[in-house]
Amino acid sequence: MAMVRTPLMFGRLPLGGRRLLFALALTGICLAFAFPVLWLILTSLRPESGVYYVHRGTEFTLASFAEVLQDDRLLQAFFNSALISTLATIFSLLVTVSSGYMLSRFRGPAAQTWFGTIYVFRCVPYISWVLPLYFVAQSWGIYDTYIGLLLPHIAVHICFFSWLMKGFFDGIDPSMEHAALIDGCTRWGAFIRVALPSAIPAISALAVLCWLFTWNEFLFALILTGNKVPVITVVMAQFVTEMGLRWNLMAATAVMALVPAFLLALFGQKYVIRGLRI
Amino acid sequence: MFGEQQRFMLFLIAPAALLLGLFQVVPIVIGANASFRDWALYNPKKTWVGLDHYKAVITDPAFLEVVLPNTFIFMILSVAGALALGLGLALLLNRPFRGQKIVQTVLMVPLMVAPVIAAIMMRWMFNDQFGIVNAVLEGLGLEGQPWLVERWSAFGIIVLTDVWLWTPWFTLLLLAGLQSLPKEPFEAAAIDGTSAWRVFSHLTLPMLQPVIVVCVVIRAIDAFRTFDIVWTLTGGGPGRSTELFSLYAYVLAFLNLDLGRGSAAAIVGGLIILVVGIGLYRLVDRVTKT
Repeated sequence: MAMVRTPLMFGRLPLGGRRLLFALALTGICLAFAFPVLWLILTSLRPESGVYYVHRGTEFTLASFAEVLQDDRLLQAFFNSALISTLATIFSLLVTVSSGYMLSRFRGPAAQTWFGTIYVFRCVPYISWVLPLYFVAQSWGIYDTYIGLLLPHIAVHICFFSWLMKGFFDGIDPSMEHAALIDGCTRWGAFIRVALPSAIPAISALAVLCWLFTWNEFLFALILTGNKVPVITVVMAQFVTEMGLRWNLMAATAVMALVPAFLLALFGQKYVIRGLRI
Repeated sequence: MFGEQQRFMLFLIAPAALLLGLFQVVPIVIGANASFRDWALYNPKKTWVGLDHYKAVITDPAFLEVVLPNTFIFMILSVAGALALGLGLALLLNRPFRGQKIVQTVLMVPLMVAPVIAAIMMRWMFNDQFGIVNAVLEGLGLEGQPWLVERWSAFGIIVLTDVWLWTPWFTLLLLAGLQSLPKEPFEAAAIDGTSAWRVFSHLTLPMLQPVIVVCVVIRAIDAFRTFDIVWTLTGGGPGRSTELFSLYAYVLAFLNLDLGRGSAAAIVGGLIILVVGIGLYRLVDRVTKT
């Protein structure tokens, strides 16, 4: 095997022992990272009376899920989160793909200014613009509405995703587009018909990431919505204080909120990893 | 007025620039305006008060002695912790072995978990009466701790949650970095019989440095604005001892209902991270150019 031996700690052990230690270490690591989620799932399956002693007892039940599913507010929150995440994904890709393309294909002061703007706004902490966005949303009459939550969710990804998209387009050879231009294609034609199709894997990666980020986002909804547009993360955070002692319901809700993200990640794993690698 | 190419460039960024302007630039300007006024619900006149709010924020002992140190300690501990663990894991995984895909999938798990849910899980595990951590401690004959009731243990759990959430991200990025390194220097070192530690400190680390620096910069900037896990785990408590900067501004604006002073705090924090961010950008620039 032409592999590089980087790890250091098992050097002096015989091969069998080394393998065993390696396997043990890996198992331990996997367990450490999976344990909180496994524990949450286990808690959600315990009956109300058994929830305080999750590690003891063997009764399991789906009653907590049944109870949680009867809560209208929660169902509405699931629906809202899914809707906002999907719409935000579609629109932020529409907007950032072209902006990333511009950053990748053009040089000069305009591109540099746009890049500088993006870097600076990427650094601005969310609270610094979402807090005053609360006044703005109220004076524009979009506080606590779908549109008032959706648009900031699109805006927040512009900086990071334009930057990622620039990186993806940098990796695509522009000579095909030049050839298309010489053959009489317009610039838009070269962008849409030549560059876009080769960027599909990268766009898929961003789509998965964007959906996950939006589904998991908390602060925007906390500040920009009241009672009319509940989303799942805010509803859960309220639960912690309101139903502080009913951990089985808490856990069942959290498990249900994890499921869509996990499914998406499982099927889009290849894309997620690529997206996270910048 | 513009050439054909300029018009094309403009159209490409116009929608993004418009959204950025409406939802980030405009709010920041309005927030700046509010930060100079007595912008509270009981004062409809919104009297101009100049720099009073800024003075109040930067002389507030809670801000200077608790919030700022907390924010920077959190940023350093959580980035350093996730980097050290992530680098260790990446080195461990950087070899072909059976079950690699399974390990990678498991490591992806925390990346999918919403910070709010991660905080809920940790809060449950560290519950002082019924949490598994105390159950295990008591099983071992030790005393259970009221984890979230004391400042530094609560702070430690916030850091732990963040490290749990972000270690996999470092692992994936650094693993990708390791796998793209040239093989020859390592083969030469192996022939020379160089010790593993020297290979790590003289070859792996310097060659990986650009990737590490970029990861650290991105994470450090994001760690500065952490809100969700603190809000859900401790709500800034006990007292206000675990508040980070975002929470401090939120509390001022929405719990104390002093929107002017909250805006001022948000701007102060924004300026601090802007300075840190520009410094870090210079650092990246220097590292990637050499």
